[in-house]
Amino acid sequence: MSLFRALHAELLKLKRTLAFRVVFVLPLLIAVLQFFVILRTKKYAPGFNLWQTHPTNSFQIWAVFMMPLLIALVTALLNGIEHSDKQWKHLFALPVPRYAVYFAKLMVAQGLILTSTLVLAVVTAIVGLAGMYLRPELANAGPVPYVWLAKQVAFIWLASWLIIAIHTWISMRWSGFPIALGAGIGGTFFALFAASAALGKYYPWLLPMNIFVEGRFATALLLGIGGGIVAALLGCFEFTRRDVN
Amino acid sequence: MTINYLIETRALTRRFGSQRAVDDLNLLVPAAGVYGFLGPNGAGKTTAIRMLLGLIRPNAGEVRLFGQSLNGNHRSLMRRVGALVEAPSLYPHLTGRENLEVTRRLLGSDRNLIELALATVKLTKDADRRVREYSLGMRQRLGLALALLNNPDLLILDEPTNGLDPAGIHEMRDLIRRLPDEFGVTVFLSSHLLGEVEQIATHIGIIHEGSLLFQGTLAELQSKQQTQLTFGVKQLDAATEFLMNTGWRVQRCDDLLNVSTKAPDDAVRINKLLVDRGLDVFHLAVSQRSLEDIFLSLTNGRPS
Repeated sequence: MSLFRALHAELLKLKRTLAFRVVFVLPLLIAVLQFFVILRTKKYAPGFNLWQTHPTNSFQIWAVFMMPLLIALVTALLNGIEHSDKQWKHLFALPVPRYAVYFAKLMVAQGLILTSTLVLAVVTAIVGLAGMYLRPELANAGPVPYVWLAKQVAFIWLASWLIIAIHTWISMRWSGFPIALGAGIGGTFFALFAASAALGKYYPWLLPMNIFVEGRFATALLLGIGGGIVAALLGCFEFTRRDVN
Repeated sequence: MTINYLIETRALTRRFGSQRAVDDLNLLVPAAGVYGFLGPNGAGKTTAIRMLLGLIRPNAGEVRLFGQSLNGNHRSLMRRVGALVEAPSLYPHLTGRENLEVTRRLLGSDRNLIELALATVKLTKDADRRVREYSLGMRQRLGLALALLNNPDLLILDEPTNGLDPAGIHEMRDLIRRLPDEFGVTVFLSSHLLGEVEQIATHIGIIHEGSLLFQGTLAELQSKQQTQLTFGVKQLDAATEFLMNTGWRVQRCDDLLNVSTKAPDDAVRINKLLVDRGLDVFHLAVSQRSLEDIFLSLTNGRPS
């Protein structure tokens, strides 16, 4: 009940925030990029099927680059509103369990990332359909693979739980926006090097991308979900014992 | 007779490194009225309040609210407490009403309490403006409305008039003064301004360097006020000897005699005694040691 109430309060706090808007803006950037890629590709090989490449490209750009940065940004913004006016002391003096506050924040962050990934899937489908309409040689690609798109949204999102949990804790622990964003940029930057390493299989910021890498799918999913739950519990443990100055 | 204390701390201590911010604090805050928690900046007021609210943990001692230990009962006790710690914690991107709604949702309290709280702090008219457009005084009043949302029995306010202009201070003071009678709430109010506390408090606790120096009713503090009578008498030695022999506390100061007493009326009695004794009184002045003097002398701010 407390968690539901905390979640209900969190949703109201989202009103007029950048965190809410950025969730819709970032997938659109990828859609615009992909739209121009489709239009400006000079020649397509005979039998080329748009739905076999275009959605994968969109999701990979999303998973390796945009999504980790979005997670850093969204969690920093969500918790920044609590740091800016020292809201924690007000929240912690209320008869509301701290775990409810923590998990409400985490769930809102997860919800926003899921929403953003869903928006990406929708705009990816729209861009694909627009490409088929504008480039006649792509018209025989067939129907939009809705089920495949939905599955990818779910897999990428579940694999991102660990990053979301890490960033939720970081942005709750430290008030500075640069710390939260720095961790996101650093994590994403090192992912470029870790991608080719064997240990990249376990690197948190690569897990959403690993959904598309052969032989890494199961690890990405299990580590994303399991690691996410463990990291969330550890973060909550620290959060509930913290002094508020 | 057993007195029920809403707040009771037992040897409450909090250290930051080697510094004792609060040292062996034994607060006793009775139900009803306004308890003024007075002390200069850095005396340990905010640290003590944070421990009362469970925001930080004490190194030693115990906090008891409504007769129950805070340890292990935080949630149930906080249901009866409203708090405003330093500057109010508000979401500037939301309106005043939305800020209240956030806290109402967290508390699960009745929607009607929002309108009641807004009316109490006189913010109904500005409730739908964003908080970033509010003046400091309005923000402070909204903070108070947030603290009232769970219909508390105890209201803990930490320096609620800090940073306000004189009009804002006056408004806030009037508001706080009304709360015990209109809502049956006990107010625990911290301040570094004696004048402010003196005007609204029924009980006072004075803290300095983490330790409680005085605790009692305002009347008890006022009873510490002393009157000093200054006499100019031609026969100084004879007058001194006479007054000391008749039991007065006399001090010579240059060519004058200072007599300490609690009753200003003693000026008339002593003057009559001196005159009846045939001593020539040519000067008489009455001065009172103010509460501010007492406060400053207790907190080493300035000798009285």
